[in-house]
Amino acid sequence: MSTATVARRLATFRAAGAGTGDVGSVVDRAKQGGDLAARLAAAVGGSVIASPAGAVVWLEGTTRPMPIDRDRLASLPGQPPAGVPLVCLDTETTGLATAAGTLAFLIGLGWWEGDWLRQVQLLLPDHADEPALLDLLSELLPQDAWLVTYNGRGFDWPLLVARYRMARRPAPTHAGHLDLLPVVRRLFRHRMDDARLKTVETMLLGVQRHRDVEGWQIPTLYLDFLRGGPAGPLVDVVRHNDEDVRSLARLLAHLDVAYGDRIARQSRPRGDLAGLARSFVRAGRTAEALDCLEDAALHPIPLNAAAAAGRRVAEVPWWSPRARPDFGGRGSPPPMSDALRDQSGYRWTDERLAAERARILARLGRPLDAADAWQAAAADRGVLAIVAWIEIAKIREHRLREPVEALDACRVAGRLLERSRALGRPHARLEADLARRAARLRRRLAAADQRRLSASEAIRAATSARLGTPCRPGRSTTRLATAAESRSATSGLRAAALGRGEAATEPAVRSACLRASEAAR
Amino acid sequence: MTDKLARPLATMLYTARDFVQMFDIVETRMRTYAPAAVDTVLADLLAEPSIARGIVHHEVIPARSAIHAPFPDWLDGRITDGLRSRGIDALYAHQAEAIDAVHAGDDVVVVTPTASGKTLCYALPVLQAIADDPASRALFIFPTKALGQDQVAELGELSRAAGLTVSAATYDGDTPAPVRQAIRSAGQVVVTNPDMLHAAILPHHTKWFQLFEQLKVIVIDELHTYRGVFGSHVANVLRRLLRICAHYGSRPVIVCCSATIGNPAELARTLTGRDAQLVDRNGAPAGQRHVILVDPPIVDPSSGARGSALTLANRWALPFLRAGRQTIVFGRSRVAVEILLTGLREALREGFGPRSRVRGYRGGYLPTERRAIERGLRDGEVLGVVATNALELGVDIGRLDASILAGYPGSVAATWQQFGRAGRRQGTSVAVLVASASPVDQYVIHHPSFLLGSSPEEARLDPDNLHVLLAHLKAAAFERPFEPGEPFGPEPADELLAFLAEEGHVRQAGDGRWYWSSENFPASAVSLRAAAEENVLIIDTTPDRPRVIGEVDLFAAQTLVHEDAIYLHESVQYHVDRLDWDERKAYVRRVDVDHYTQADRAVTLKPLDVFAESDAVGGTRVHGEVMVASLATIYKKLKFVTNENLGWGRIHLPEIELQTTAYWLTAGQLRGAWRRDELDIALLGAGRAVQTIASVLLMVDPRDLGLVTQVRSPHHDVPTIYLYEAVPGGVGLSERLWERHAELLAGAADLIATCTCDAGCPACTGPRLEPDVDARTLALRLLAELGADATGRGAPGASSAA
Repeated sequence: MSTATVARRLATFRAAGAGTGDVGSVVDRAKQGGDLAARLAAAVGGSVIASPAGAVVWLEGTTRPMPIDRDRLASLPGQPPAGVPLVCLDTETTGLATAAGTLAFLIGLGWWEGDWLRQVQLLLPDHADEPALLDLLSELLPQDAWLVTYNGRGFDWPLLVARYRMARRPAPTHAGHLDLLPVVRRLFRHRMDDARLKTVETMLLGVQRHRDVEGWQIPTLYLDFLRGGPAGPLVDVVRHNDEDVRSLARLLAHLDVAYGDRIARQSRPRGDLAGLARSFVRAGRTAEALDCLEDAALHPIPLNAAAAAGRRVAEVPWWSPRARPDFGGRGSPPPMSDALRDQSGYRWTDERLAAERARILARLGRPLDAADAWQAAAADRGVLAIVAWIEIAKIREHRLREPVEALDACRVAGRLLERSRALGRPHARLEADLARRAARLRRRLAAADQRRLSASEAIRAATSARLGTPCRPGRSTTRLATAAESRSATSGLRAAALGRGEAATEPAVRSACLRASEAAR
Repeated sequence: MTDKLARPLATMLYTARDFVQMFDIVETRMRTYAPAAVDTVLADLLAEPSIARGIVHHEVIPARSAIHAPFPDWLDGRITDGLRSRGIDALYAHQAEAIDAVHAGDDVVVVTPTASGKTLCYALPVLQAIADDPASRALFIFPTKALGQDQVAELGELSRAAGLTVSAATYDGDTPAPVRQAIRSAGQVVVTNPDMLHAAILPHHTKWFQLFEQLKVIVIDELHTYRGVFGSHVANVLRRLLRICAHYGSRPVIVCCSATIGNPAELARTLTGRDAQLVDRNGAPAGQRHVILVDPPIVDPSSGARGSALTLANRWALPFLRAGRQTIVFGRSRVAVEILLTGLREALREGFGPRSRVRGYRGGYLPTERRAIERGLRDGEVLGVVATNALELGVDIGRLDASILAGYPGSVAATWQQFGRAGRRQGTSVAVLVASASPVDQYVIHHPSFLLGSSPEEARLDPDNLHVLLAHLKAAAFERPFEPGEPFGPEPADELLAFLAEEGHVRQAGDGRWYWSSENFPASAVSLRAAAEENVLIIDTTPDRPRVIGEVDLFAAQTLVHEDAIYLHESVQYHVDRLDWDERKAYVRRVDVDHYTQADRAVTLKPLDVFAESDAVGGTRVHGEVMVASLATIYKKLKFVTNENLGWGRIHLPEIELQTTAYWLTAGQLRGAWRRDELDIALLGAGRAVQTIASVLLMVDPRDLGLVTQVRSPHHDVPTIYLYEAVPGGVGLSERLWERHAELLAGAADLIATCTCDAGCPACTGPRLEPDVDARTLALRLLAELGADATGRGAPGASSAA
C-alpha cells in the first residue's frame, strides 16, 4: 500500500465519523498548556529542577520527628540491619500493569536525618522529562540503602526498573528491600479486612485521612493534566503520596515500638504474636518463635471478629498469596461465601497455637514435646484435631518407634474422619493418607510379632539357662528403662538393655533415652 | 550311519514345515484381510468399474531421489558430529541453501512439502548461534499453541546429540507463573504464538530484555496460515517485535517456513516487512505417488445433485485398511469425521477386521489422547485415522501409505499438506481427493492443473488495514514512544499518531516524541483473530463454568451466531441459545446435530472512494472503498452431506454498516441486446462464478467475499458486479482481484463451461431461482462479452469425466 492510500483511508475513516466528538477541545487545551513544568510547580508548590535531561518538579515535604530504635528494629526478623540508611519509597503511576507503557510520574521518598523523617517528592511534568527524573532518583538512592515500600517488590520497584530499561540505562542498586506488605500480611491478617495501606493506617496507626483521593482516580488526573487539563487536582495526588510515604515510616516505627522487644510485644494480640512467631521461624530463630507463642497463649482467645460482626468473608481471603493485592482500585469486591467463615483462619485458638508450637518443636528435633503440643492441638473441634492425631502418629512411628501407640493415634484420627464424613465434611486427602499409614503400621507390627516370637524363644532359652527359671523379659526391661529415665542414666541404660540381647523392646528403650536426653536439656 | 538317519529326518521336518506354511497361505487367502502391497490394492481398486468411473484424473508423480549437499564448513564440529551420530551424513540441498543464507545474515523463506526436513533449516542456525555464544536467543513462532511440540522435541534431540545444552521452553497461556520467570531470564529458545507475543511478551518487553538483547533468530513456521485478518494482525505484531529488537540493539534473522503457495516470498515480505531469500528447491527424496481426483457420480441430473463424498471416500479407504496399509482419511468437519469413522468401523466389523485400530482425531480430543494416536501412527499400532485438519499442521505422525480427502480442504496448500501425510521415502503412496458438490470442489477437481501445476493461489494480507494498523500502533506506542518521523511499516506514522492523539490515546510531548498517554492496556483490547475492536464474544455454557471460546466481528456475527444458529468452532458444533446484541455476547451450548445453518443477508452497497480504475473489455474494473449495509434476514437449516433443507427461521437483528474495500466490474458497453431480467440472472450467475474463483485464487472462505450485483448501479448507471471483503477495512483481497481481473473472468467462464449441469447448478451459477431460465448460457454470454474466453484456463485433465 502506498502512502497515499493510508492517508486516504484515514480521510474516509474520519469522514465516516470514527473520531470522537470532543477532539477539538482536547487539542485546544493542549495548546494552552504552555510550560508544563512551571505550571505544575506553581500549582503544587514545588520548584523546578532543570537539567539537560529535562525538568523535574521537586517538592520538599515537612520534616517531622519519627524516632526509631534501629537496633531494636533490627532484632525483628526480616528487618534491615541497624547501620544501613533506609529510604521509604512510593510511586504514583498511570496504570496498574508493570508493562512498558505505564509511567511512574510521582516518586515519594522519605529518609531519616537523625530522628527526623525528611520527605521529598519528585514530580514529572512531561513524558519527555523522564530521563531527568530517573537521574535524580539514582542520585537520591544511596547504594547501601534499604528500600522500604508497600508492595514495592511486586509493583513499584519492578516498574521503576522497567522505566530505567526503557531509557536504556542501569537501574540504581540498593542493599536491601523491606516490603512491608508481606509483614502486614503475616502479622495482622487475623484482624484486618484487607491489606490496603489505608486500612493499616486506621487499624494500626490510628490515622484517619480526610478528603483523600482514591487510587483509581490518580492516573486520569495526571493524564488530564498532560493533555492540557488543570494542574490543581494534582495537589490531592501529591498529598496522597506524601501520606503514603509517611505511613511507611509510621508503620516501621510502630513495629519497632510495639514489637521490638519481648516485654513490649507481650501486650499485643495473640494473633500478632502467632504471626510474628512464623516470621521468626522463617528467619530460623525458633527459640524466639517459641517465646512468642508462649506469650500469645497468655492472651484471651479473640472472638472471630468477622463472624461476630456478621460480616461475610471473601472466597479467597485477602491474605492468601493467591489473592491479588487490593489498593482500592475500582474493581468489584471479590465474591463472598459464608462457607469459609469458620475456617478462614481468623481465630487464633489455643489449639492452633499449640499446632504452631508443635511444628516448631518437630523441626527443632524435640519429638516428644512436639507430640505433647499436638496432643494439646488435638482438642480442636475441627479438622485440626485430625491433622494433630496424624502428626502424633507420624512422630510415634518414625521418631519414637512406638508402632503400637502410633496405630492407636491412627485409630483416633480415623474415628474423627469418619465422624466428619458422616457430618458431610469428608477429607479425602487425609483419609487416603491415614489409610496408607495405618496399613503400613499393621504390616510392620505383624512382621515385628513374628520376629519377637522367634527372638523371645531364644531369650527364654538363654535366661532360663542363666537364672534357672523362665521369665518374661520384655516387661522387665521396659520397667528398667522407665526407672532409668528419672536418673538420666541414658547411655548406661542403653548399654545395659542392649547388653541383655533384648531385641523386641528396643523401641521402648530408645524412647526412654530420648525422653531422658530431652529432660536433661 | 548317522548321516543316513539324519537325511530322512531332515526331509520330514522340511515337509512338515512346508505343510504348515502352505496351510498358512491358504488360511490367509481365506480371510479378507490379507496384507498386500499398495500397488496391488490400487490396481484392484482401479479394476473395479464402480470406483474407476468416478476418477476424473489420475496422475503418477515419479519417485525422486535425494539431492544432497555437504555440511558447510562454518557449521560447528559438535553439531556435525551430533548429526552424524543420528545417521545424518549430509544435508539436503534446500537445507544447505537455507542455512547458508541465514549464516550470511539473510532472511529466508523455505517452501517445502510435508516431511522434507524443514526443522533442520531453522534448528541448525539456532544451534550454531548457541554454539558460537551460549547467550544467544531464538524465538519460534507457531500459529497456535498446540503446534511446535514435535519441532521443539527434535531441536532438543539435536542439541543433545551435539552435546550442547539448549534450554527450549514453550511460553503460552498454560505456562505456570514460576516457569514463566525462568523462561524470561534463561530460555534460549522461546516457543510461542502470535497471540502471546502480542498480549504478553511485547507489552512487558522490559522483563524480556535478555531475550531481546540477544535475539539472533526468529522462526516463523506455517507462514501460509498468516493471511487475511489474522495475517494482517501478525504482520503488525512483527513490526512491533522488530521495533523492540531495535530498541535493545539486536537485529535477528527471520526464517520463515511455508507450505507450497503461489507467493511465498511476497507473503514473507508483506508479513515481516523485509526481503527474504526464497528456498524452494526440494532436495528430499520421495517415493512414487499416485494422485487421484474423484468426483462422486451425479444422482439427479436435473438438479445436479451428486452422491456423498464421504461414502465414496470410505470406499477408497477400506481396501487399504483391509490390506494393512496405514491410511488417513480427512473430513472437513467433526461431523464428517464421525460419519466417516462410523462407516469405516461398520464395514470393518463384517469379518472381524482391524476395527479397533482405526481411530478418530479432531479438535476436542484431549492432548494425551492426541499424543497416543500420534505415537500409535508412528509405530504402526494405529492402522487408520480419520481426522479433521487438526492433523494438518506440524504434527509428526510419520508417513503413511494412503491419504484420502473427503472434500477439498479449501486451499491447494492444505490439500498438499494432507496429501503429504502419505508418502514414504521408498515405495508407492496414494493420495485421493474426493470432491463434494460445492462449486469450489467442483472447480478444483475438474482443473487438475490447478492442483498439480505450480500453485496458483496466493496468501493475501493487508498490514495497513486501518482498523488493524491503528490498534497495533496504539500497542506499539504503549511499548515505546515514537520518534517524530519514525516509520511503522513502510512509512512515518506521524499522521496516524496525530489521529490517535485526537482521541486521547497518545500525546506529543515537548521533545516531539509521541507517548502513550492513557491508563488502558491497548494490547488487551485487540484480538488477533478479528479485524475490529468491537466483537461478539462467544460463550460456551456447556461446562459448569461458562468460558469464552472465541469471538467474531459484528458483520460476521449477523450470520454466524444469530439465535438458533449452529456455530462450528474447532469442528465442534454449538447451538446459539441467546444472542445479546447490546452486550455483544452469544451464549452457545455444545450440541451434536446432523445439520448446519446458513443465513441470508440483504445487502446494499455504496461506493465511497475509488483507489484504482481502468478500462476492461465491455466496461471497467475498479478497486475502491465501499460502505456495505447488511441486514440478516432468514436462516436455513441444511442437512450435512446432502444439503437437504430441513427448515428455516427469521433473524431479528439490527442492520449494520461495514466500511470495507471492494473490487467491482461494470458492464457499460455490452454489445448484445439484453433483457433486463436476463441481465439480472446473467450478472448473478457470472458473479457467483467469479466469487468462487476469487475465493480459490486467494485462499479464502467464499463467505469472506460478499457478492452484490446491480443491473443498474446508482453509482455508475450501468450493470455492475461487486465483490466486497467481509472484514472492516479489507485485507488486501480486492486490490489483488482487481489486478487479476482477466484471470478471474476466464476462470469463471471456464467453471461454468466445464460444469456438467444442463442450465446452471449450485456448483457453477448458484442455486436456480427460476426453473425455466438457462442461467448457464446467460452467464457465459455475459462473461464472453466481458472478454472472458471459456477456454482461457485450459482444463487438461477434465476430459476423462466428460
